[in-house]
Amino acid sequence: MTSYDTAVIGGGLLGCATAWHLARAGNRVLLVEKDQVNRHASGQNAGSLHFQLEFRMVEHGDDAARAAARALPLHLDAMRAWATVEDELGERCGVSRTGGLMLAETPAEIAVLDRKAALEREYGLDVAVLSGPELRRFAPYLADTVLAAGHVPGEGKANPRLVTPALARAAGRYGAVLRTGCRVTGLHRRGRHWELRTGTGPGDTAGETHLADTVVLAGGVWTAELAAMADVRLPVFPVGLTMSATARSRPFLPHLIQHVGRRLSMKQTEDGNVLIGGGWPAKLVSRAGQVDLETNPELRYESLVGNADAARVVPAVFDLPVIRTWTGMTTLTPDHLPLLGAVPRRPGLFVATGGSAFTLGLTYARLLARMVVTGETDRSIEDYSPSRFGALNFV
Amino acid sequence: MDRPEPVTIEVDGRTVPAHPGESLATALLAAGERAVGTTRGGARRAPYCNMGICFECVVTVDDVPCQRSCLIRVRADMRVRTAVPR
Amino acid sequence: MSAPDVVVVGAGPAGLAAAATLGRHGAAVTVVDEQEQPGGQIYRQPPAGFTPPAGSSPAGRALLAEATAAPGVRWLADTTVWGVLGTRAGLDGYAGDQPPPGRYRVATHGPVGVRLLEPRAVLLTAGAYDLPVPFPGWTLPGVLTAGGVQTFVKAQGLLPGGRFVLAGGHPLLLVVAAQLVRAGARVVEVALIQRRRDLLPGPAGLAAAAGAGGKIAEGVDALRVLRRAGVPVRFGTVVRRAAGDPDLTTVTLAEVGPTGLPVSGTDRDVPCDVLALGYGFVPSVELARQAGCAVTWDSPAGGWVVRHDEWLRTSVPQIAVAGELTGVAGAEQAEVEGRLAALGVLRDLGLLDEHRAVTLARPVRRELRRRRRFVTQVLDRFAPDRAALGSLVTDDTVLCRCEEVRAGDVRRALRANPHLGTANAVKLVTRAGMGLCQGRSCQPGLCQLISTLTGRGPEQVGAFTAQAPVKPVPLRALAVGDEPPAAD
Ligand SMILES: Cc1cc2nc3c(=O)[nH]c(=O)nc-3n(C[C@H](O)[C@H](O)[C@H](O)COP(=O)(O)OP(=O)(O)OC[C@H]3O[C@@H](n4cnc5c(N)ncnc54)[C@H](O)[C@@H]3O)c2cc1C
Ligand SMILES: Cc1cc2nc3c(=O)[nH]c(=O)nc-3n(C[C@H](O)[C@H](O)[C@H](O)COP(=O)(O)OP(=O)(O)OC[C@H]3O[C@@H](n4cnc5c(N)ncnc54)[C@H](O)[C@@H]3O)c2cc1C
Ligand code: FES
Repeated sequence: MTSYDTAVIGGGLLGCATAWHLARAGNRVLLVEKDQVNRHASGQNAGSLHFQLEFRMVEHGDDAARAAARALPLHLDAMRAWATVEDELGERCGVSRTGGLMLAETPAEIAVLDRKAALEREYGLDVAVLSGPELRRFAPYLADTVLAAGHVPGEGKANPRLVTPALARAAGRYGAVLRTGCRVTGLHRRGRHWELRTGTGPGDTAGETHLADTVVLAGGVWTAELAAMADVRLPVFPVGLTMSATARSRPFLPHLIQHVGRRLSMKQTEDGNVLIGGGWPAKLVSRAGQVDLETNPELRYESLVGNADAARVVPAVFDLPVIRTWTGMTTLTPDHLPLLGAVPRRPGLFVATGGSAFTLGLTYARLLARMVVTGETDRSIEDYSPSRFGALNFV
Repeated sequence: MDRPEPVTIEVDGRTVPAHPGESLATALLAAGERAVGTTRGGARRAPYCNMGICFECVVTVDDVPCQRSCLIRVRADMRVRTAVPR
Repeated sequence: MSAPDVVVVGAGPAGLAAAATLGRHGAAVTVVDEQEQPGGQIYRQPPAGFTPPAGSSPAGRALLAEATAAPGVRWLADTTVWGVLGTRAGLDGYAGDQPPPGRYRVATHGPVGVRLLEPRAVLLTAGAYDLPVPFPGWTLPGVLTAGGVQTFVKAQGLLPGGRFVLAGGHPLLLVVAAQLVRAGARVVEVALIQRRRDLLPGPAGLAAAAGAGGKIAEGVDALRVLRRAGVPVRFGTVVRRAAGDPDLTTVTLAEVGPTGLPVSGTDRDVPCDVLALGYGFVPSVELARQAGCAVTWDSPAGGWVVRHDEWLRTSVPQIAVAGELTGVAGAEQAEVEGRLAALGVLRDLGLLDEHRAVTLARPVRRELRRRRRFVTQVLDRFAPDRAALGSLVTDDTVLCRCEEVRAGDVRRALRANPHLGTANAVKLVTRAGMGLCQGRSCQPGLCQLISTLTGRGPEQVGAFTAQAPVKPVPLRALAVGDEPPAAD
């Protein structure tokens, strides 16, 4: 039995980045991943770095938007984190910050865009609403139907294929121990330590027990399941999402594209493929009345059509073939705010998930690591604390 | 093999005779085009499987990219671009 | 148009036999095939308006006639099936049109755009394709699969070059070489990787062969044609390299030692402008895998094959398979399997009662057993030695043709990420398998390399996740245009 300062459960972006920060700070870190690093949401997502409020946050009216805006301080932090991460890692991860546009096609949508921009400016986000010739000059590839767009200069993309493996390697360089094909099956407080039990994963490692002073749950959609191992209930829910990728084409789309009135995220990768997503649902598979988190959600034809249809705001995309679609799962919280911080009444247990945790993952990781090491953070994360769901937990 | 009278198609601006109904890959090869395109890395590529599996034979036909020339059939006056890098 | 009872994907021998059987017993069948003409790979017909030279009456004419004459069979040519949707979580009406309960959506793309078929049962008879074996120079213009060369010659009446070398490890090479000779081509050499002594049949092989006179006669006939034309057929010979600038001009052949590896110092350069490769076949299981059908690794049968029960039903209800998807076994077995699978579907749909289905299936099963005995013998003898073939790859060899990922890239990626070791994980870090062909050309070679480098077996390395669309679909055709894609 080996003992560590911190055990991080989950080898997605969040887990790998947290392990990296912790190991860099001198912690002895164990990272446990049941499958392969980057196998789930972190390797399946759209790679958008969006710092504006998303469509899902504004579609339910101004009050809901105002509530969701409480995460904006994290967005600003994440913008800085992505600006420097490649230098810190010493390698390219496809980070591009050439700006993002949120499109409006009707007067009503323009009104939403204006109110959204005003709200975002309250939090210090640099957003301008472009229209007319200015917009055409900036984004000549847009369809004529686009009337205005909210522009945030620091938005863009990163390559989900590259980021998390790079973080895992960096964590390894600072001495973090990586266990893949190793599933955590039990989590218990023993005296002043946490005891992790691992079962045999589909690949490599047989059952083991590890001790750690602190534990970070970075389990993505498995967060509720992991928390339950420590007898904690967290209201986080899996949702299925759909992505489409076109064949490669010459570079013509330098910006991140979103839409204020419907589900859309679109960008061109460095390799030339156009990725289309933005929240089109995929159907979760259930087995014996339980959501089956091990099976990828089922593609809905309607989502694929929706994906394709939304792309009409950039007509050049319409000529390309779709070569692949995929589905994945991500976590939502009931209030669309992140779940981030120490778990009440479970000394040494930390969690982060929810929200756009690709964009925000580096920030979550930095804040968690700081909490683990120093017991505090450099900014208030009260709004995101698991304690807001304290009513669900009696012991 | 007896085949219908040839028509012409346009390949990268050149006029090329071809038999309507034969595969475009056949017509291109018969016209002496040993390769139908170039990869991004600059390598010449030509039909490999000739049955729609490998996508090595893709060309742009009448402005639609990524058409498998081994499956597409010759029609009079079709416009073929082989030079589009993929 | 009313929804079909059954959609058959693929109009090769398996699909044709199935359609004939289904139609005869009253099922409404839609047969979908990407090709212009039914027939699949072996009974490929020339394009409409082309007349093959007299005397070359196409094989399989009886089967084609039987299938086209069967009542209730509708043909969708030039149409690709790109997904079977609703097999995992079921379909519901929350997000769109209400599909009939208990049906899947077979998503197609063809001359009329994207269409959904909603049958009561699906029969996958998608066949197989040539096993891609990477080695230096295999991407040069002039290097083709043997099947590809055959299609140019047989179905298009074109000789795709002047000097042909055929190399690989499958008896199809002999058949194609003979077809080339008959068509007037200059065949320089046929090189088979198997050593002659390894091919001699044992007693069991001879007994089984008695049940397969046709195939053997075909091989013997081919050898005779080649001998008469003076074409050398060399055993124990492998192609190590293809070279030329800009197109193929030379191949390097070498002798194979007892371990299956080329013997150093035996290299020989042979000038040619076409190299036809035939190492056997890979079952086209991607649609089955996309639909969620369980597969098993069976190397001699072509790699991943679809698991099935005695009625050829897969692990997914209402989806059956026949032909090469159950393991590569040739046209005759594909045809028999097509009939059996059709009887199973008819039984499940209630169009045949249990007793009739079992009775009708009895002679079909007998025939199938007889064929399988022969096929097993052949497969064992011609099974690709994947590790030995994998050793042909150098760091500079392109594995993924579409994305131009080389073996060295994969080696470096695995060294940098020692915690990775599956096909999917390597795809994600290297882009191998992310191109237009969706990994069909690189998956076998890539997985073999991962196995060699990590010591993991084929089951552990796995395959790329199969996703819809299994073949590309124009975005425009998917979007709701003026004319919404209708279910029919
Ligand atoms: C299709 C799609 C598109 C998206 N697009 C975007 C986007 O554009 N921008 C954005 O910001 N966000 C996006 N997201 C969301 C984003 O991908 C996720 O929020 C983020 O990747 C979560 O990272 P994670 O590390 O928390 O989770 P994951 O990447 O899911 O990692 C969690 C890991 O924990 C492991 N694990 C779970 N249980 C155990 C156990 N018991 N033992 C060991 N290991 C365990 C899992 O195997 C998994 O690898 C998208 C998500 C999807 C699905
Ligand atoms: C190129 C090639 C040449 C061959 N030549 C010979 C030979 O000379 N002699 C010999 O004995 N055997 C030959 N074989 C083997 C022989 O073709 C097979 O054993 C036999 O055809 C198998 O029949 P099948 O019905 O299973 O599949 P196939 O005959 O392969 O038929 C499958 C059909 O499905 C269609 N299809 C596949 N996927 C889709 C999709 N997603 N959507 C729509 N349609 C789809 C294909 O277009 C094809 O027409 C050859 C095989 C290949 C691949
Ligand atoms: S040659 Fe392979 S798809 Fe056309």
